[in-house]
Amino acid sequence: MKLEERARELEAKARELRFHIVDMVHAAQSGHCGGSLSAADIVTALYFEFLNIDPANPDKGDRDRFVLSKGHACPVQYAALALRGFFPVAELRSLRAMHSRLQGHPVQGKLPGIEVTTGSLGVGICEAVGLALEARLRKASWRVWAVLGDGELGEGAVWEAAQAATKFGLDNLIAVVDNNGLQNDGYCRDILPLRSIPDKFRAFGWAVLEMDGHDMEDILRTFGKALLITGSPVCVVAKTVKGKGVSFMEDKRDWHGKAPNAEQYAQAVAEIKGGPA
Amino acid sequence: MMHESAKIPTRRAYSDRMAERGESDPDFAVFESDIGYSTYSYLFGDRFPERYFNFGIAELSTMAAAAGMASTGRRVIVSGYGVFLTMRALEVVRSFICYPKLNVKLLSSHGGLTAAIDGVTHQATEDIAFMTTLPNMKVLCPADPVAARAACDLALDTPGPVFTRLMRDPLFELYGTEEEFHIGGSKTLRQGGDVAILSYGDLVFKALLAADRLAALGIEARVLDLYSVKPWDREAVFAAAGECGAILVVENHQRRNGLGYEIATTLLKAGSCLPFDNLGLDDTFAESGNYHEMLDEYGLGPASITAAAERLVAAKKGRA
Ligand SMILES: Cc1ncc(C[n+]2csc(CCOP(=O)(O)OP(=O)(O)O)c2C)c(N)n1
Ligand SMILES: [Mg+2]
Repeated sequence: MKLEERARELEAKARELRFHIVDMVHAAQSGHCGGSLSAADIVTALYFEFLNIDPANPDKGDRDRFVLSKGHACPVQYAALALRGFFPVAELRSLRAMHSRLQGHPVQGKLPGIEVTTGSLGVGICEAVGLALEARLRKASWRVWAVLGDGELGEGAVWEAAQAATKFGLDNLIAVVDNNGLQNDGYCRDILPLRSIPDKFRAFGWAVLEMDGHDMEDILRTFGKALLITGSPVCVVAKTVKGKGVSFMEDKRDWHGKAPNAEQYAQAVAEIKGGPA
Repeated sequence: MMHESAKIPTRRAYSDRMAERGESDPDFAVFESDIGYSTYSYLFGDRFPERYFNFGIAELSTMAAAAGMASTGRRVIVSGYGVFLTMRALEVVRSFICYPKLNVKLLSSHGGLTAAIDGVTHQATEDIAFMTTLPNMKVLCPADPVAARAACDLALDTPGPVFTRLMRDPLFELYGTEEEFHIGGSKTLRQGGDVAILSYGDLVFKALLAADRLAALGIEARVLDLYSVKPWDREAVFAAAGECGAILVVENHQRRNGLGYEIATTLLKAGSCLPFDNLGLDDTFAESGNYHEMLDEYGLGPASITAAAERLVAAKKGRA
Protein backbone atom coordinates (compact mmCIF):
# COMPACT_ATOMS: atom_id res chain seq x y z
CA MET A 1 0.00 0.00 0.00
CA LYS A 2 1.15 3.48 -0.78
CA LEU A 3 2.23 5.61 2.19
CA GLU A 4 -0.47 8.15 1.34
CA GLU A 5 -3.21 5.51 1.47
CA ARG A 6 -1.91 4.08 4.69
CA ALA A 7 -1.83 7.59 6.15
CA ARG A 8 -5.54 8.01 5.37
CA GLU A 9 -6.35 4.76 7.19
CA LEU A 10 -4.31 5.77 10.18
CA GLU A 11 -5.93 9.19 10.26
CA ALA A 12 -9.30 7.45 10.58
CA LYS A 13 -7.88 5.30 13.35
CA ALA A 14 -6.52 8.38 15.15
CA ARG A 15 -10.00 9.82 15.03
CA GLU A 16 -11.27 6.72 16.85
CA LEU A 17 -8.56 7.13 19.47
CA ARG A 18 -9.54 10.75 19.97
CA PHE A 19 -13.17 9.79 20.41
CA HIS A 20 -12.31 7.23 23.07
CA ILE A 21 -9.98 9.63 24.88
CA VAL A 22 -12.74 12.18 25.29
CA ASP A 23 -15.32 9.48 25.94
CA MET A 24 -13.42 7.78 28.75
CA VAL A 25 -12.32 11.01 30.43
CA HIS A 26 -15.93 12.17 30.27
CA ALA A 27 -17.12 8.88 31.77
CA ALA A 28 -14.54 9.11 34.57
CA GLN A 29 -15.06 12.86 34.99
CA SER A 30 -11.33 12.92 35.56
CA GLY A 31 -8.21 12.58 33.46
CA HIS A 32 -5.99 14.41 31.02
CA CYS A 33 -7.49 15.30 27.64
CA GLY A 34 -4.97 17.84 26.36
CA GLY A 35 -1.82 15.75 26.40
CA SER A 36 -3.67 12.63 25.27
CA LEU A 37 -5.08 14.36 22.22
CA SER A 38 -1.74 15.92 21.28
CA ALA A 39 -0.13 12.47 21.25
CA ALA A 40 -3.00 10.71 19.44
CA ASP A 41 -1.48 10.69 15.95
CA ILE A 42 1.95 9.64 17.20
CA VAL A 43 0.51 6.82 19.30
CA THR A 44 -1.77 5.67 16.47
CA ALA A 45 1.17 5.39 14.11
CA LEU A 46 3.17 3.44 16.66
CA TYR A 47 0.45 0.98 17.67
CA PHE A 48 -1.01 0.42 14.21
CA GLU A 49 2.09 0.59 12.04
CA PHE A 50 5.41 0.33 13.83
CA LEU A 51 5.26 -1.63 17.07
CA ASN A 52 5.95 -5.34 16.81
CA ILE A 53 3.27 -6.48 19.28
CA ASP A 54 0.62 -9.18 19.36
CA PRO A 55 -2.63 -8.74 21.29
CA ALA A 56 -3.11 -12.52 21.29
CA ASN A 57 0.26 -12.88 22.99
CA PRO A 58 0.91 -9.63 24.82
CA ASP A 59 3.95 -11.06 26.62
CA LYS A 60 5.77 -12.46 23.60
CA GLY A 61 9.43 -12.12 24.28
CA ASP A 62 10.68 -10.19 21.29
CA ARG A 63 7.94 -7.56 21.29
CA ASP A 64 8.78 -3.89 21.01
CA ARG A 65 8.39 -2.00 24.26
CA PHE A 66 6.30 1.15 24.41
CA VAL A 67 6.86 3.44 27.40
CA LEU A 68 4.51 6.34 28.05
CA SER A 69 6.92 8.51 29.99
CA LYS A 70 4.25 11.23 30.18
CA GLY A 71 2.02 8.75 31.99
CA HIS A 72 -0.82 11.19 32.63
CA ALA A 73 -1.68 10.86 28.93
CA CYS A 74 -2.58 7.19 29.41
CA PRO A 75 -6.07 7.58 27.91
CA VAL A 76 -4.34 7.68 24.52
CA GLN A 77 -2.45 4.47 25.27
CA TYR A 78 -5.50 2.74 26.72
CA ALA A 79 -7.51 3.67 23.62
CA ALA A 80 -4.77 2.32 21.34
CA LEU A 81 -4.45 -0.92 23.28
CA ALA A 82 -8.21 -1.52 23.28
CA LEU A 83 -8.61 -0.76 19.59
CA ARG A 84 -5.63 -2.98 18.86
CA GLY A 85 -7.42 -5.83 20.68
CA PHE A 86 -5.54 -6.06 23.97
CA PHE A 87 -8.74 -5.78 25.99
CA PRO A 88 -12.40 -4.97 25.30
CA VAL A 89 -13.16 -1.47 24.09
CA ALA A 90 -16.12 -1.38 26.48
CA GLU A 91 -13.66 -1.45 29.37
CA LEU A 92 -12.33 1.99 28.45
CA ARG A 93 -15.17 3.67 30.31
CA SER A 94 -13.97 2.14 33.57
CA LEU A 95 -11.03 4.56 33.50
CA ARG A 96 -10.01 5.56 37.02
CA ALA A 97 -12.92 3.76 38.69
CA MET A 98 -12.48 1.53 41.75
CA HIS A 99 -11.20 -1.93 40.80
CA SER A 100 -10.61 -0.92 37.19
CA ARG A 101 -7.58 -2.17 35.31
CA LEU A 102 -7.36 1.30 33.79
CA GLN A 103 -5.52 3.10 36.55
CA GLY A 104 -5.17 6.88 36.66
CA HIS A 105 -1.61 6.43 35.45
CA PRO A 106 -0.27 3.28 33.74
CA VAL A 107 0.53 0.38 36.06
CA GLN A 108 2.58 -2.61 34.95
CA GLY A 109 0.79 -5.89 35.43
CA LYS A 110 -2.69 -4.41 35.74
CA LEU A 111 -3.47 -4.29 32.06
CA PRO A 112 -2.04 -6.26 29.14
CA GLY A 113 0.29 -4.10 27.09
CA ILE A 114 1.55 -1.86 29.87
CA GLU A 115 5.28 -2.52 30.11
CA VAL A 116 6.33 -0.32 33.02
CA THR A 117 4.63 1.81 35.65
CA THR A 118 4.78 5.53 34.94
CA GLY A 119 3.00 8.70 36.05
CA SER A 120 5.73 10.56 37.87
CA LEU A 121 7.38 12.55 35.12
CA GLY A 122 11.02 11.97 34.23
CA VAL A 123 11.01 8.31 35.20
CA GLY A 124 9.69 6.59 32.06
CA ILE A 125 12.59 7.58 29.85
CA CYS A 126 14.98 6.14 32.44
CA GLU A 127 13.00 2.91 32.50
CA ALA A 128 13.19 2.92 28.70
CA VAL A 129 16.98 3.04 28.93
CA GLY A 130 16.85 -0.01 31.20
CA LEU A 131 14.60 -1.86 28.78
CA ALA A 132 16.95 -1.05 25.91
CA LEU A 133 19.91 -2.34 27.92
CA GLU A 134 17.97 -5.51 28.71
CA ALA A 135 17.48 -6.09 24.98
CA ARG A 136 21.22 -5.87 24.56
CA LEU A 137 21.86 -8.20 27.48
CA ARG A 138 19.52 -10.79 25.97
CA LYS A 139 20.80 -10.19 22.46
CA ALA A 140 17.18 -9.49 21.57
CA SER A 141 16.10 -7.35 18.66
CA TRP A 142 13.30 -5.44 20.34
CA ARG A 143 13.10 -1.70 20.13
CA VAL A 144 12.03 0.66 22.88
CA TRP A 145 9.83 3.62 22.03
CA ALA A 146 9.26 6.26 24.70
CA VAL A 147 6.88 9.21 24.47
CA LEU A 148 7.79 12.23 26.59
CA GLY A 149 6.13 15.54 27.31
CA ASP A 150 7.98 18.79 26.67
CA GLY A 151 7.28 20.02 30.21
CA GLU A 152 8.66 16.69 31.36
CA LEU A 153 12.04 17.68 29.91
CA GLY A 154 12.41 19.92 32.98
CA GLU A 155 13.21 16.86 35.07
CA GLY A 156 16.95 16.44 35.42
CA ALA A 157 16.56 12.67 35.26
CA VAL A 158 15.59 12.96 31.58
CA TRP A 159 19.04 14.34 30.83
CA GLU A 160 20.78 11.80 33.00
CA ALA A 161 19.01 9.11 30.99
CA ALA A 162 19.92 10.89 27.76
CA GLN A 163 23.60 10.77 28.67
CA ALA A 164 23.44 7.13 29.70
CA ALA A 165 21.72 6.20 26.43
CA THR A 166 24.54 7.85 24.51
CA LYS A 167 27.23 6.26 26.62
CA PHE A 168 25.74 2.82 26.00
CA GLY A 169 25.09 3.57 22.32
CA LEU A 170 21.44 2.57 22.57
CA ASP A 171 20.35 2.64 18.95
CA ASN A 172 17.40 0.44 19.92
CA LEU A 173 15.90 3.40 21.80
CA ILE A 174 13.69 6.02 20.18
CA ALA A 175 12.31 8.87 22.26
CA VAL A 176 9.45 10.92 20.85
CA VAL A 177 8.94 14.35 22.42
CA ASP A 178 5.34 15.56 22.23
CA ASN A 179 6.25 19.21 21.78
CA ASN A 180 2.87 20.83 22.40
CA GLY A 181 4.37 23.89 24.04
CA LEU A 182 2.25 23.66 27.20
CA GLN A 183 2.79 22.22 30.64
CA ASN A 184 0.59 22.35 33.75
CA ASP A 185 1.02 25.98 34.75
CA GLY A 186 1.23 27.55 31.30
CA TYR A 187 3.30 27.70 28.15
CA CYS A 188 6.69 26.02 28.43
CA ARG A 189 8.27 29.22 27.14
CA ASP A 190 7.02 30.99 30.31
CA ILE A 191 7.31 28.21 32.89
CA LEU A 192 10.60 26.68 31.81
CA PRO A 193 11.94 27.91 28.48
CA LEU A 194 13.46 24.95 26.65
CA ARG A 195 15.19 26.87 23.87
CA SER A 196 15.94 24.29 21.18
CA ILE A 197 14.92 20.73 22.08
CA PRO A 198 16.67 19.30 18.97
CA ASP A 199 19.90 21.15 19.79
CA LYS A 200 19.80 19.87 23.34
CA PHE A 201 19.41 16.23 22.35
CA ARG A 202 22.06 16.62 19.66
CA ALA A 203 24.46 18.04 22.24
CA PHE A 204 23.75 14.96 24.34
CA GLY A 205 24.82 12.72 21.46
CA TRP A 206 21.45 11.68 20.05
CA ALA A 207 20.39 11.60 16.42
CA VAL A 208 17.49 14.02 16.07
CA LEU A 209 14.58 14.09 13.64
CA GLU A 210 11.80 16.64 13.55
CA MET A 211 8.26 16.20 12.32
CA ASP A 212 4.74 17.56 12.37
CA GLY A 213 3.10 15.37 14.99
CA HIS A 214 -0.31 15.71 13.35
CA ASP A 215 0.70 15.04 9.73
CA MET A 216 0.36 11.28 9.36
CA GLU A 217 2.47 11.09 6.21
CA ASP A 218 5.25 13.01 7.91
CA ILE A 219 4.97 10.75 10.97
CA LEU A 220 5.22 7.59 8.84
CA ARG A 221 8.23 8.87 6.94
CA THR A 222 10.01 10.16 10.05
CA PHE A 223 9.49 7.03 12.11
CA GLY A 224 10.61 5.02 9.10
CA LYS A 225 13.83 7.01 9.00
CA ALA A 226 14.33 6.67 12.75
CA LEU A 227 14.39 2.88 12.36
CA LEU A 228 17.33 3.09 9.98
CA ILE A 229 19.60 5.08 12.28
CA THR A 230 22.37 3.10 13.93
CA GLY A 231 25.04 3.93 16.46
CA SER A 232 23.09 6.31 18.68
CA PRO A 233 19.70 6.72 20.31
CA VAL A 234 17.17 8.69 18.30
CA CYS A 235 15.00 11.58 19.44
CA VAL A 236 12.02 12.55 17.32
CA VAL A 237 10.75 16.00 18.19
CA ALA A 238 7.08 16.19 17.20
CA LYS A 239 5.49 19.61 16.82
CA THR A 240 1.99 19.20 18.20
CA VAL A 241 -1.00 21.11 19.51
CA LYS A 242 -2.25 20.30 22.98
CA GLY A 243 -5.91 19.23 22.80
CA LYS A 244 -5.64 18.66 19.03
CA GLY A 245 -8.93 17.79 17.38
CA VAL A 246 -11.28 19.54 19.81
CA SER A 247 -11.34 23.25 19.01
CA PHE A 248 -12.06 24.53 22.50
CA MET A 249 -9.34 22.39 24.05
CA GLU A 250 -6.63 23.30 21.56
CA ASP A 251 -3.65 25.13 23.02
CA LYS A 252 -5.49 25.82 26.29
CA ARG A 253 -3.74 25.51 29.63
CA ASP A 254 -6.86 24.68 31.54
CA TRP A 255 -7.62 21.62 29.39
CA HIS A 256 -4.50 19.91 30.70
CA GLY A 257 -6.25 17.88 33.35
CA LYS A 258 -9.94 18.63 33.14
CA ALA A 259 -12.92 16.49 32.16
CA PRO A 260 -15.59 17.77 29.76
CA ASN A 261 -19.15 18.26 31.00
CA ALA A 262 -22.10 16.87 29.03
CA GLU A 263 -22.35 19.80 26.68
CA GLN A 264 -18.62 20.02 26.05
CA TYR A 265 -18.55 16.27 25.54
CA ALA A 266 -21.26 16.47 22.86
CA GLN A 267 -19.43 19.22 21.03
CA ALA A 268 -16.08 17.44 21.29
CA VAL A 269 -17.53 14.21 19.90
CA ALA A 270 -19.25 16.07 17.07
CA GLU A 271 -15.99 17.74 16.12
CA ILE A 272 -13.96 14.55 16.30
CA LYS A 273 -16.45 12.52 14.29
CA GLY A 274 -17.38 15.19 11.78
CA GLY A 275 -14.30 17.35 11.44
CA PRO A 276 -11.78 17.28 8.63
CA ALA A 277 -9.25 14.47 8.80
CA MET B 1 -23.57 16.55 64.78
CA MET B 2 -23.77 19.28 62.16
CA HIS B 3 -20.82 20.30 60.10
CA GLU B 4 -20.79 22.29 56.92
CA SER B 5 -19.01 20.86 53.93
CA ALA B 6 -16.01 23.06 53.29
CA LYS B 7 -16.20 25.06 50.11
CA ILE B 8 -12.47 24.88 49.55
CA PRO B 9 -9.86 22.19 50.14
CA THR B 10 -7.11 22.73 52.71
CA ARG B 11 -4.52 23.18 49.93
CA ARG B 12 -6.50 26.21 48.79
CA ALA B 13 -6.95 27.60 52.31
CA TYR B 14 -3.20 27.43 52.99
CA SER B 15 -2.43 29.15 49.69
CA ASP B 16 -5.11 31.80 50.25
CA ARG B 17 -3.50 32.66 53.56
CA MET B 18 -0.03 32.58 52.00
CA ALA B 19 -1.14 35.12 49.38
CA GLU B 20 -2.81 37.35 51.99
CA ARG B 21 0.14 37.20 54.29
CA GLY B 22 2.43 38.31 51.49
CA GLU B 23 1.07 41.83 52.05
CA SER B 24 2.15 42.17 55.67
CA ASP B 25 5.14 39.84 55.49
CA PRO B 26 7.41 40.94 52.67
CA ASP B 27 10.28 38.59 53.44
CA PHE B 28 9.30 35.08 52.41
CA ALA B 29 9.52 33.55 48.95
CA VAL B 30 7.50 30.77 47.32
CA PHE B 31 8.98 28.06 45.07
CA GLU B 32 6.78 26.00 42.76
CA SER B 33 7.41 23.15 40.31
CA ASP B 34 4.68 23.53 37.67
CA ILE B 35 1.63 22.56 39.69
CA GLY B 36 0.80 26.03 40.94
CA TYR B 37 -2.71 25.78 39.55
CA SER B 38 -3.23 22.63 41.56
CA THR B 39 -1.62 23.71 44.84
CA TYR B 40 -3.07 27.23 44.33
CA SER B 41 0.37 28.72 44.91
CA TYR B 42 -0.36 30.77 41.78
CA LEU B 43 -2.54 32.98 44.01
CA PHE B 44 0.67 34.17 45.67
CA GLY B 45 2.49 34.31 42.34
CA ASP B 46 -0.14 36.57 40.79
CA ARG B 47 0.21 39.07 43.66
CA PHE B 48 3.93 38.86 44.28
CA PRO B 49 5.59 37.79 41.04
CA GLU B 50 9.00 39.01 42.21
CA ARG B 51 8.92 36.56 45.14
CA TYR B 52 7.42 33.60 43.27
CA PHE B 53 9.70 31.20 41.43
CA ASN B 54 8.31 28.48 39.19
CA PHE B 55 11.10 26.05 38.31
CA GLY B 56 9.12 23.86 35.92
CA ILE B 57 8.82 20.13 36.50
CA ALA B 58 12.01 19.78 38.55
CA GLU B 59 11.13 19.01 42.17
CA LEU B 60 14.58 17.92 43.25
CA SER B 61 16.42 21.04 42.13
CA THR B 62 13.55 23.24 43.30
CA MET B 63 14.02 21.89 46.81
CA ALA B 64 17.79 22.26 46.65
CA ALA B 65 17.46 25.83 45.39
CA ALA B 66 15.14 26.52 48.33
CA ALA B 67 17.87 25.20 50.62
CA GLY B 68 20.32 27.59 48.99
CA MET B 69 18.08 30.61 49.42
CA ALA B 70 17.12 29.60 52.94
CA SER B 71 20.79 29.19 53.90
CA THR B 72 20.82 32.99 54.17
CA GLY B 73 18.02 32.81 56.73
CA ARG B 74 15.18 33.62 54.35
CA ARG B 75 11.95 31.69 54.73
CA VAL B 76 11.01 29.76 51.60
CA ILE B 77 7.74 27.93 51.09
CA VAL B 78 8.16 25.04 48.64
CA SER B 79 4.87 24.01 47.08
CA GLY B 80 4.19 20.60 45.57
CA TYR B 81 2.48 17.24 45.73
CA GLY B 82 3.33 15.09 48.74
CA VAL B 83 4.77 12.27 46.66
CA PHE B 84 7.31 14.48 44.94
CA LEU B 85 8.25 16.69 47.90
CA THR B 86 8.70 13.83 50.34
CA MET B 87 10.16 11.21 48.02
CA ARG B 88 11.84 12.69 44.95
CA ALA B 89 13.35 15.47 47.03
CA LEU B 90 13.71 13.51 50.26
CA GLU B 91 17.49 13.54 50.50
CA VAL B 92 17.59 17.29 50.02
CA VAL B 93 14.92 17.76 52.68
CA ARG B 94 16.86 15.58 55.09
CA SER B 95 20.49 16.47 54.61
CA PHE B 96 20.34 20.01 53.32
CA ILE B 97 17.25 21.45 55.00
CA CYS B 98 16.58 19.53 58.23
CA TYR B 99 20.22 18.96 59.12
CA PRO B 100 21.15 22.66 58.89
CA LYS B 101 17.69 23.60 60.32
CA LEU B 102 16.77 25.87 57.44
CA ASN B 103 13.58 27.91 57.19
CA VAL B 104 12.03 25.84 54.43
CA LYS B 105 8.30 25.24 54.72
CA LEU B 106 6.70 22.51 52.67
CA LEU B 107 3.23 23.14 51.29
CA SER B 108 2.47 19.52 50.55
CA SER B 109 -0.74 18.89 48.68
CA HIS B 110 -2.53 15.62 47.82
CA GLY B 111 -1.75 13.97 51.17
CA GLY B 112 -2.75 10.38 51.82
CA LEU B 113 -5.39 9.00 49.51
CA THR B 114 -6.93 12.31 48.47
CA ALA B 115 -5.29 11.95 45.09
CA ALA B 116 -7.37 8.79 44.95
CA ILE B 117 -8.47 9.04 41.36
CA ASP B 118 -4.95 9.65 40.03
CA GLY B 119 -3.70 6.35 41.39
CA VAL B 120 -0.76 5.23 43.47
CA THR B 121 1.94 7.39 41.85
CA HIS B 122 0.12 10.45 43.14
CA GLN B 123 -0.95 9.18 46.58
CA ALA B 124 1.32 10.32 49.42
CA THR B 125 0.68 7.48 51.84
CA GLU B 126 4.16 7.32 53.39
CA ASP B 127 4.82 11.07 53.76
CA ILE B 128 4.18 11.20 57.51
CA ALA B 129 6.68 8.39 58.06
CA PHE B 130 9.35 10.17 56.05
CA MET B 131 8.75 13.62 57.47
CA THR B 132 8.27 12.71 61.14
CA THR B 133 11.45 10.63 61.02
CA LEU B 134 13.61 13.62 60.08
CA PRO B 135 15.28 15.39 63.00
CA ASN B 136 14.33 19.09 63.29
CA MET B 137 11.25 18.70 61.07
CA LYS B 138 7.86 19.75 62.41
CA VAL B 139 4.77 18.23 60.84
CA LEU B 140 1.27 19.69 60.64
CA CYS B 141 -1.88 18.27 59.13
CA PRO B 142 -4.90 20.54 59.33
CA ALA B 143 -8.40 19.06 59.19
CA ASP B 144 -10.28 22.06 57.85
CA PRO B 145 -9.75 25.39 56.04
CA VAL B 146 -9.42 27.44 59.24
CA ALA B 147 -6.76 25.08 60.55
CA ALA B 148 -5.01 25.14 57.17
CA ARG B 149 -4.79 28.92 57.23
CA ALA B 150 -3.40 28.69 60.75
CA ALA B 151 -0.88 26.09 59.57
CA CYS B 152 0.49 28.55 57.04
CA ASP B 153 1.02 31.10 59.80
CA LEU B 154 2.51 28.55 62.17
CA ALA B 155 4.90 27.39 59.47
CA LEU B 156 6.09 30.90 58.70
CA ASP B 157 6.33 31.91 62.37
CA THR B 158 8.18 28.81 63.58
CA PRO B 159 11.94 28.74 62.96
CA GLY B 160 13.26 25.77 61.00
CA PRO B 161 11.63 23.32 58.60
CA VAL B 162 7.87 22.76 58.83
CA PHE B 163 5.95 20.27 56.68
CA THR B 164 2.22 20.77 56.21
CA ARG B 165 0.15 17.96 54.76
CA LEU B 166 -2.81 19.28 52.77
CA MET B 167 -5.66 17.59 50.99
CA ARG B 168 -6.90 17.69 47.43
CA ASP B 169 -10.59 17.31 48.22
CA PRO B 170 -12.68 19.79 50.20
CA LEU B 171 -13.30 18.46 53.71
CA PHE B 172 -15.62 19.80 56.38
CA GLU B 173 -15.67 22.96 58.45
CA LEU B 174 -14.83 22.09 62.02
CA TYR B 175 -13.51 25.34 63.45
CA GLY B 176 -14.62 28.93 63.82
CA THR B 177 -12.29 31.61 62.55
CA GLU B 178 -11.29 32.55 66.13
CA GLU B 179 -9.88 29.12 66.90
CA GLU B 180 -6.19 29.10 67.87
CA PHE B 181 -3.65 26.48 66.97
CA HIS B 182 -0.08 25.93 68.06
CA ILE B 183 2.83 23.59 67.43
CA GLY B 184 2.36 20.60 69.71
CA GLY B 185 -1.33 21.32 70.25
CA SER B 186 -4.45 19.29 69.63
CA LYS B 187 -8.22 19.77 69.75
CA THR B 188 -10.69 17.63 71.57
CA LEU B 189 -13.68 17.72 69.27
CA ARG B 190 -15.87 15.38 71.22
CA GLN B 191 -15.76 14.30 74.84
CA GLY B 192 -16.15 10.69 75.83
CA GLY B 193 -14.73 8.20 78.28
CA ASP B 194 -15.09 4.78 76.65
CA VAL B 195 -12.49 4.97 73.90
CA ALA B 196 -10.37 7.72 72.38
CA ILE B 197 -10.10 8.09 68.62
CA LEU B 198 -7.02 10.05 67.58
CA SER B 199 -6.69 11.32 64.05
CA TYR B 200 -5.48 14.18 61.87
CA GLY B 201 -6.39 15.71 58.53
CA ASP B 202 -9.29 14.37 56.54
CA LEU B 203 -9.95 11.40 58.80
CA VAL B 204 -10.83 13.57 61.79
CA PHE B 205 -14.22 14.03 60.22
CA LYS B 206 -14.60 10.31 59.57
CA ALA B 207 -13.74 9.76 63.24
CA LEU B 208 -16.52 12.16 64.23
CA LEU B 209 -18.96 10.26 62.02
CA ALA B 210 -17.85 7.03 63.69
CA ALA B 211 -18.33 8.62 67.12
CA ASP B 212 -21.96 9.33 66.18
CA ARG B 213 -22.45 5.69 65.26
CA LEU B 214 -20.74 4.58 68.46
CA ALA B 215 -23.00 6.83 70.54
CA ALA B 216 -26.00 5.06 69.02
CA LEU B 217 -24.44 1.82 70.29
CA GLY B 218 -24.02 3.30 73.76
CA ILE B 219 -20.28 3.91 73.43
CA GLU B 220 -18.98 7.39 74.18
CA ALA B 221 -15.90 8.06 72.09
CA ARG B 222 -13.55 10.95 72.65
CA VAL B 223 -12.26 12.41 69.38
CA LEU B 224 -8.95 14.24 69.17
CA ASP B 225 -7.66 16.22 66.22
CA LEU B 226 -3.89 15.86 66.40
CA TYR B 227 -3.30 18.58 63.80
CA SER B 228 0.25 18.89 65.13
CA VAL B 229 1.58 15.49 64.10
CA LYS B 230 5.12 16.25 65.22
CA PRO B 231 5.47 17.21 67.96
CA TRP B 232 2.18 15.70 69.08
CA ASP B 233 0.22 16.61 72.17
CA ARG B 234 1.57 14.18 74.75
CA GLU B 235 -0.52 15.60 77.53
CA ALA B 236 -3.82 15.23 75.70
CA VAL B 237 -2.97 11.74 74.47
CA PHE B 238 -1.89 10.50 77.91
CA ALA B 239 -5.01 12.04 79.44
CA ALA B 240 -7.12 10.25 76.83
CA ALA B 241 -5.32 6.97 77.55
CA GLY B 242 -5.83 7.36 81.27
CA GLU B 243 -9.44 8.47 81.14
CA CYS B 244 -10.73 6.33 78.25
CA GLY B 245 -8.56 3.25 78.73
CA ALA B 246 -8.49 2.45 75.00
CA ILE B 247 -6.83 4.21 72.08
CA LEU B 248 -7.58 4.04 68.37
CA VAL B 249 -5.35 5.97 65.98
CA VAL B 250 -6.80 6.54 62.51
CA GLU B 251 -4.55 7.72 59.71
CA ASN B 252 -4.79 8.25 55.98
CA HIS B 253 -1.33 6.70 55.70
CA GLN B 254 0.45 3.40 55.92
CA ARG B 255 -0.12 1.85 59.34
CA ARG B 256 3.57 1.15 59.49
CA ASN B 257 5.64 4.06 60.79
CA GLY B 258 2.71 6.42 61.04
CA LEU B 259 1.63 8.38 64.07
CA GLY B 260 0.00 5.24 65.50
CA TYR B 261 3.38 3.51 65.76
CA GLU B 262 4.86 6.54 67.49
CA ILE B 263 2.02 6.85 69.99
CA ALA B 264 1.98 3.11 70.75
CA THR B 265 5.71 3.08 71.43
CA THR B 266 5.50 6.12 73.64
CA LEU B 267 2.59 4.68 75.66
CA LEU B 268 4.38 1.36 76.08
CA LYS B 269 7.58 3.02 77.17
CA ALA B 270 5.60 4.98 79.77
CA GLY B 271 4.28 1.68 81.13
CA SER B 272 0.79 2.20 79.79
CA CYS B 273 -0.54 -1.07 78.41
CA LEU B 274 -4.08 -0.66 77.16
CA PRO B 275 -6.29 -1.86 74.29
CA PHE B 276 -4.81 -0.14 71.23
CA ASP B 277 -5.32 -0.26 67.49
CA ASN B 278 -4.28 1.81 64.53
CA LEU B 279 -6.05 2.00 61.21
CA GLY B 280 -4.26 2.83 57.99
CA LEU B 281 -3.17 1.13 54.81
CA ASP B 282 -2.18 -2.33 55.87
CA ASP B 283 1.17 -2.74 54.13
CA THR B 284 -0.47 -2.27 50.76
CA PHE B 285 -0.73 0.17 47.90
CA ALA B 286 -4.18 1.45 47.06
CA GLU B 287 -5.42 2.04 43.50
CA SER B 288 -7.37 4.59 41.44
CA GLY B 289 -10.92 5.37 42.38
CA ASN B 290 -13.37 7.66 44.07
CA TYR B 291 -11.86 9.19 47.22
CA HIS B 292 -14.62 8.38 49.69
CA GLU B 293 -15.25 4.91 48.26
CA MET B 294 -11.53 4.30 48.52
CA LEU B 295 -11.41 5.27 52.18
CA ASP B 296 -14.22 2.81 52.85
CA GLU B 297 -12.58 0.11 50.76
CA TYR B 298 -9.26 0.41 52.58
CA GLY B 299 -10.78 0.37 56.04
CA LEU B 300 -10.65 4.08 56.81
CA GLY B 301 -14.35 4.96 56.63
CA PRO B 302 -16.79 5.43 59.52
CA ALA B 303 -17.86 1.75 59.45
CA SER B 304 -14.31 0.45 59.91
CA ILE B 305 -13.51 3.04 62.58
CA THR B 306 -16.70 2.15 64.44
CA ALA B 307 -15.95 -1.57 64.29
CA ALA B 308 -12.38 -1.09 65.52
CA ALA B 309 -13.55 1.09 68.40
CA GLU B 310 -16.15 -1.51 69.38
CA ARG B 311 -13.45 -4.20 69.45
CA LEU B 312 -11.31 -2.04 71.73
CA VAL B 313 -14.19 -1.40 74.10
CA ALA B 314 -14.90 -5.15 74.21
CA ALA B 315 -11.22 -5.85 74.91
CA LYS B 316 -11.30 -3.33 77.72
CA LYS B 317 -14.33 -5.09 79.28
CA GLY B 318 -12.58 -8.44 78.88
CA ARG B 319 -9.69 -7.15 80.94
CA ALA B 320 -11.80 -5.64 83.69
C1 LIG C 1 7.42 14.27 38.76
C2 LIG C 1 6.11 14.86 38.47
N1 LIG C 1 5.88 16.15 38.78
C3 LIG C 1 4.67 16.70 38.55
C4 LIG C 1 3.67 15.97 38.00
C5 LIG C 1 2.31 16.59 37.79
N2 LIG C 1 2.07 16.84 36.36
C6 LIG C 1 1.35 15.98 35.63
S1 LIG C 1 1.27 16.41 34.02
C7 LIG C 1 2.19 17.81 34.29
C8 LIG C 1 2.53 18.71 33.15
C9 LIG C 1 3.15 17.92 32.05
O1 LIG C 1 3.52 18.70 30.97
P1 LIG C 1 4.10 17.99 29.68
O2 LIG C 1 5.20 17.09 30.05
O3 LIG C 1 4.40 19.03 28.69
O4 LIG C 1 2.89 17.06 29.23
P2 LIG C 1 1.72 17.37 28.17
O5 LIG C 1 1.76 18.81 27.82
O6 LIG C 1 2.02 16.51 27.03
O7 LIG C 1 0.45 16.98 28.87
C10 LIG C 1 2.56 17.89 35.63
C11 LIG C 1 3.36 18.98 36.21
C12 LIG C 1 3.95 14.62 37.68
N3 LIG C 1 3.01 13.82 37.17
N4 LIG C 1 5.16 14.10 37.91
MG1 LIG D 1 3.51 19.72 26.97
